[in-house]
Amino acid sequence: MKSVVGRWSLVVGLIFSSVLVFAQQKPIVLKGGKLLTISHGTIENGVLVMQNGKITAVGAANSIKIAKDARVIDATGMTIYPGLIDSEDNLGLTEISAEQSTNDLIESSDEIMPHMHVYDAFHAESELIPVTRLNGVTNAVIAPDSKDTLPGQDSFVQLAGKSSEEMVLIRDIAMPLNFTGEQRHNDWEKRKFPQTRMGMAAQLRQAFLDAQDYAQHWAEYEKKKSEAAQKPADKSDDKDKKPPTPPKRDLKLEALLPYLEGKKPIVLAAEEANDLQTAVSLAHEFNLKFVLNHISQSQSALDYVAGLKVPVIVGPIYEDPKPYERYDAVYSLPAQLYKRGVKIVFASYDAHNVRNLPYQAGYATAFGLPYDEALKAITLNAAETWGVADQLGSLDPGKTANVVVANGDPLELRTDVKQVFIAGQEVPMTSRQTRLRDQFSGQ
Amino acid sequence: MNRIAIRVVFLLLAFSAFTQAQQPVAHNEVVIKNAVVMTVTHGIVQNGSVYVKDGKIAAIGKDVSAPSSAKVIDAGGKYLTPGIVDSHSHIALDDDVNEATSPVTPQMMMIDAFDYQDKAIYRGLAGGVTTSLLLHGSANMIGGQAVVIKHKYGLNRDALLFPGAPRSIKFASGENPKRVYGGKDQLPSTRMGNFEVQREALVQAQDYMREWDDYNAKVKKGDKDASPPKRDLKLEALADVLRGNLLVQIHCYRADELLTEMSIAKEFGYKVRAFHHALEAYKVADKLAANNVAIATFSDWWGYKQEAWDAIPWNAVMCMRKGVRVAIKSDSEDFARRLNQEAAKTIRYGGATDEEALRMVTLNAAWIIGVDDKVGSIDVGKDADLVIWDGYPLSSYGVPSKVFIDGDVYFDRSLPGFGMPHYTEGQ
Repeated sequence: MKSVVGRWSLVVGLIFSSVLVFAQQKPIVLKGGKLLTISHGTIENGVLVMQNGKITAVGAANSIKIAKDARVIDATGMTIYPGLIDSEDNLGLTEISAEQSTNDLIESSDEIMPHMHVYDAFHAESELIPVTRLNGVTNAVIAPDSKDTLPGQDSFVQLAGKSSEEMVLIRDIAMPLNFTGEQRHNDWEKRKFPQTRMGMAAQLRQAFLDAQDYAQHWAEYEKKKSEAAQKPADKSDDKDKKPPTPPKRDLKLEALLPYLEGKKPIVLAAEEANDLQTAVSLAHEFNLKFVLNHISQSQSALDYVAGLKVPVIVGPIYEDPKPYERYDAVYSLPAQLYKRGVKIVFASYDAHNVRNLPYQAGYATAFGLPYDEALKAITLNAAETWGVADQLGSLDPGKTANVVVANGDPLELRTDVKQVFIAGQEVPMTSRQTRLRDQFSGQ
Repeated sequence: MNRIAIRVVFLLLAFSAFTQAQQPVAHNEVVIKNAVVMTVTHGIVQNGSVYVKDGKIAAIGKDVSAPSSAKVIDAGGKYLTPGIVDSHSHIALDDDVNEATSPVTPQMMMIDAFDYQDKAIYRGLAGGVTTSLLLHGSANMIGGQAVVIKHKYGLNRDALLFPGAPRSIKFASGENPKRVYGGKDQLPSTRMGNFEVQREALVQAQDYMREWDDYNAKVKKGDKDASPPKRDLKLEALADVLRGNLLVQIHCYRADELLTEMSIAKEFGYKVRAFHHALEAYKVADKLAANNVAIATFSDWWGYKQEAWDAIPWNAVMCMRKGVRVAIKSDSEDFARRLNQEAAKTIRYGGATDEEALRMVTLNAAWIIGVDDKVGSIDVGKDADLVIWDGYPLSSYGVPSKVFIDGDVYFDRSLPGFGMPHYTEGQ
């Protein structure tokens, strides 16, 4: 019975969104709200126009000409801001955490699995996705679980669309390299390599060396091939020579190449200052481009972090401090980093409650992070970190119309999100949870 | 014999001297003035003052008369609430939460595992929590007996125990007992097995109680030959459940199981104090209200297992509107640090008033623990467990500035180090 209901609502949803695609030819105007543009301040009594999936105009009410055929939505009293971006979560890779059949979080058969691509598992119809976007989160970096050092490659997704192909905007956007100590197989009874941090580092080093060798073999092959092509074919002494044979393809090593070439960022995860420095040394050894992740136990090394001049996905700030640390040692970490000029972004590191991402940013302000920076950390800073700032992260003409309409401050947990637009389309403000609520209300 | 008695007296003296040394100097009389007092029971007092005498709230109002010797603390216009009460916690038990070797272990006493030095107590305190119910885990259908603490971090063990708190026992149901024992190919591995195990234990307890009742009746009649039945700690604890001497706290998710637990309670003649988690309570809220059973639930946690799949964040308010007493609890070291925020989510999900939301982490939680006559609101005669907040407590930005327990400041955010006036590391 349940699945029939689920399927039916999916059908309704699809019809609804296709109707909207058609309706979208007309501009949609949000009029009278307070616009938090992120890139150029706050506009009280503003107007935002969307058409064909893009934001086409943003400005004060009296400065924007509204087309005659436009659909005008009165947003008086509302706060309007860009869709929020979660910089790491597991949406689409899990449904019910304890039910293994619903989990595609990590291929744990080996530690070095860069050829695992989360887009191969991303489940577009996950019930978690509507729950998430109802709170204004419209985009996310989907990562595999962090139990191994190199568990696979992340994808950047948009949380609405008819299929995973439509929702996965960027495949293999980055690759996590996890070095938090959690990846050790240090259960004494079931111990296996790598049991220590030395083992983890050695294994990683070998993997990158193997990939460099692999790249070298391919380079040699390409060189021979082009040399062979340049030589005239009629030379008699070359008759016995076979054309060069290509090296055997190795998907695992191949997956590491864009990172060794610095084309894509590694997401370098560490908690403690010692792990952080080991991991950074490894990254430097192989000239890897990286952003930092977590560092929630690295309070003693914040100047060092600032010196690296890379963005930091900080937290979650709800991590416990060390027993000898003050209660707010992690809560105040974003403010400490910001003071040192570090670009910070937030991540939920969750799946079911990605929706609570903005509250983490809000809480960081109670511990010294300026409000505007907190908001940027889940919008424009995130978009810049992931190389999508031309499309997302602020209310600017030309960007994708991922727009949230709420009855107040986006970082305030009392605020109710009233409408979410993704690529200019009104997202149905329903989820499995609202349906259950409605089913059992008024009984 | 005499020598032993002397030694006991000596030990008691030594012990009290030691605890006294650690006890903060009691400010017998304190006035917290210039606060927005959120009483929970009788609205808000703007520009309010609270007069504390001997650790109790002695007066509340715009003006309170207090002797000039009373120490005055100016709240600077900030919000003042009762201390937060966590009605479901497993902190300070290290790894001793579950005696998962038998599905019926009511003789387990959580106080025997209580690690009063666990920093989680401090971190909860810094989040405004002053009272917590430390429960056995949910591996067993019938777990152990809880301990109620006040978060007086830095004092000795017994100084953290909530004086006069009633005894609570933890029951569980659903997936956890099934998984723990089914995984070992033991009973229970199904919900049928779960409830059979529970009924079986209660039937044994009925027999045990009857034996003791018979014996006591004989003694009362003057039968000098009556021999007492053998004491059995397990059945003694369950007999106390049947006698109504223990508050029954049941870990339970699914609507059908909530109903089953209530019918078993009726069958055996005990009361269920509260369902914990109770994520499907909204489906049977009227039944819970009719039985005066409270819930201690999460604000928005869901989907972590099958029985949490129908959880919705409107659960708390939907139940409250049907007349169920609702508490928001932590069940987590993390959430315990910001239960005020978890409570505030009910304002957004379902439209709780601010006072209703605050009540879910104060008075209603105190009722579940059975200490609502002592804590949970700002009322004359209650323990002076109070929190002054930076920012608005029911928001993303609410953080405790000062936390009082029994009238003394145990946490002060403005202090360096841990912010605890009576504690320094290595003490």
